[in-house]
Amino acid sequence: MTIMIDGIGVVGGFGSGAKELLAAAQAGGCAPETASLSAEGTSQEVPVYRARTDHLTDFVSKRALRRVDHLSRMALLGAHLALEDAGNPALDPQRTGIIVASGYGATGTTFAFLDSVLGDGDACASPTHFSSSVHNAAAANLSIQLKLEGPCLTLSQFEQSVFSAFSEARIWLCEGRVDRVLVGCVDEFCPVLGYCWQRYFGSELPEVQQPLRLNSQSAIPGEGAAIFLLSRDQGQAAYGHIAHVEYGRGILPSFNADLTLIGADGHRVCGQRYRDELAPGMWVAAASASYGSLPVGSAFDLAIAAFSRKTGFWSLPIQANDTAWDQMRPGAEMADLNVACVKCGNDNDYGLLILEP
Amino acid sequence: MTTRVPVAITGLGCLCAAGVGVDDCLDSLYRGERRPTAPTLFSTSHPVTYPVLEIPETDFPREEGPLLRTSELGLAAAREALADAGLDETSREKVRIGVILGTTVGSAMNNEAFYQRFRDGERPEMTAIDRFRRSNPAAVVARELRLNGPTQTLVNACSSGTDALGIGAGWLRSGLCDVVLAGGADELCRTTYNGFSALMITNENPCSPFDRDRQGLNLGEGAGMLVLEKAEAAKKRGVRLRAQLLGYGAAADAYHLTAPSPDGKGLRRALCEAMEQAGIAASDLAFVNAHGTGTKDNDKVESQVLHDLLPGIPFHSTKGYTGHTLGAAGGIEAVFTVAFLERGEIPASIGFSSQDPDLPTAPVTENTPVAGKAAISESLAFGGNNAVAVFGRVEDTA
Repeated sequence: MTIMIDGIGVVGGFGSGAKELLAAAQAGGCAPETASLSAEGTSQEVPVYRARTDHLTDFVSKRALRRVDHLSRMALLGAHLALEDAGNPALDPQRTGIIVASGYGATGTTFAFLDSVLGDGDACASPTHFSSSVHNAAAANLSIQLKLEGPCLTLSQFEQSVFSAFSEARIWLCEGRVDRVLVGCVDEFCPVLGYCWQRYFGSELPEVQQPLRLNSQSAIPGEGAAIFLLSRDQGQAAYGHIAHVEYGRGILPSFNADLTLIGADGHRVCGQRYRDELAPGMWVAAASASYGSLPVGSAFDLAIAAFSRKTGFWSLPIQANDTAWDQMRPGAEMADLNVACVKCGNDNDYGLLILEP
Repeated sequence: MTTRVPVAITGLGCLCAAGVGVDDCLDSLYRGERRPTAPTLFSTSHPVTYPVLEIPETDFPREEGPLLRTSELGLAAAREALADAGLDETSREKVRIGVILGTTVGSAMNNEAFYQRFRDGERPEMTAIDRFRRSNPAAVVARELRLNGPTQTLVNACSSGTDALGIGAGWLRSGLCDVVLAGGADELCRTTYNGFSALMITNENPCSPFDRDRQGLNLGEGAGMLVLEKAEAAKKRGVRLRAQLLGYGAAADAYHLTAPSPDGKGLRRALCEAMEQAGIAASDLAFVNAHGTGTKDNDKVESQVLHDLLPGIPFHSTKGYTGHTLGAAGGIEAVFTVAFLERGEIPASIGFSSQDPDLPTAPVTENTPVAGKAAISESLAFGGNNAVAVFGRVEDTA
């Protein structure tokens, strides 16, 4: 049984909303900001794709947001944009589920909590930071702000989180457990992650992320939220239908798709897996220069594929590459194409999702 | 409406402060033993000591290995459950086994020593981060035991373990795999100790769920894992069926980040959904294993809901024996519920001695024989999650 995408909301280094994500995709990427990281008296500028949530207040009052952290704000903005994109349907609060996928959770708030402990002592630990650092806080904030009382789940499986979430949403919808599911994929950047990046890849910090140069290390950390409102198949869908979701360990299973959007995000080690497991001559694209490298990046790939389908035409330009794949020219018609979103992780794991017309 | 496909429970695994192994835990519970102590896994500077329920060092190693402690706990419980289900290494190769494991600490990047050095402007080594990256609990169990089905780590706070069971049953119904290892694992750590203390819901004394003088919870650690498979397939395998997972319900309060909705609306709906899916009435129930943390808010809400929806059904909390094991709680308490159902007796709700006049009902105060073909385990969580699982005796559901 297939499920359909009714609405999509996105926020990330490209800005927010379909128009800004597609603009970044059509331009072949967008320019990152920089974050300053200091250690042992030295400072280094690290490129990063940061998300802004300023216009969340178009949807939620400042008062309601006063204790809501950055991760939850991204999720909330994405959710409101998804609902707006779907035409603000009347949701049955008890028949609408929420599934949030996050690779690392609210890391910024976790370390803010540790600041309160390490800075002021155990007895001065911040209760607000603690309760917001709990991994399911973003899902809870969605539930509370949107007044949704159906089942509510948070998953954390690093790069498999996105596929795990869509797989679960499909089961809920197919079993009739709920009528709609808000699937939210969100990850944030914080200085500790920047430090980790610097330690692991410090000598190879790029200015531009080039995901189809698989022999290069060009990953730039990113953050953002991609939120999808899903429902059971009811016929024609502007964004298409999710026909297949699969994730696991080992070799990528074989699949049929006209276009494969790989989750290559500039990491050399993972990049090799795509080269090893996808046949030469396939039509392949990689869109991560539009949003950066983050565990839930595949959700942005799905968003780009869906937004492109809705416009009728493929968005990405031909990219610099060192592969034997073909690339679809921008403007190619997409109405009848099956698109596969594929992610190969560095723990021998994979994720596969197929979007059909 | 979810199609009812009988899901059998064929294996149990558990370790916590009450014991290492299911039988060891049950012995402690029925003897009415509990061992809250000052924390020894870590030190704190609180002026007051909040007792915790740790697994003794003699029972489970504490040396820092390549994996986080939470993953090691989950792995130990998973091994016991698979052995109980007769799934040795050879037989595991013939079936697709999925792993779904609930946790809170196990997915948190919160190593204090690493962060302290970073905060001080140093360049800490990446050992702690490497360890964290290697230690996604469900991935660890799948990798170490060479299991080839889907894996999922649930981070739904205190209802994670119960949610894992319901989600796992869904995997079986949809054919994602043949067998599911489902449950939860969580270790004690300074972050949760300091966090719960900051929220002022930890008790300076051993906890007393539902008691008039209850003052909060004690934290604990451990893991509880169950093997689930389609009843038909389990029978073909010739393995003993320990119970059936008859129903699961989950609903959100949409109320507050840490406090339950005072009217218990989410718990009520989760209970109704689970019982409807199970096809049982209140009169079929032998007992309820409540969430029963010992906090003012949780116990008040639960007591009212149990009184309204399941009047006269015996209930208890086992958190006096185990502590609140967070993401592991639902898994550990599911193991206990199945074992109590098999035995036909539930242990006393330790710590309870005085009825709270604001609570309309009270737990059992001594080991109590129970009759009935089914039992419930329920979990309430931060974020307003409510999850309920209904288990059935095998002879009554075959």
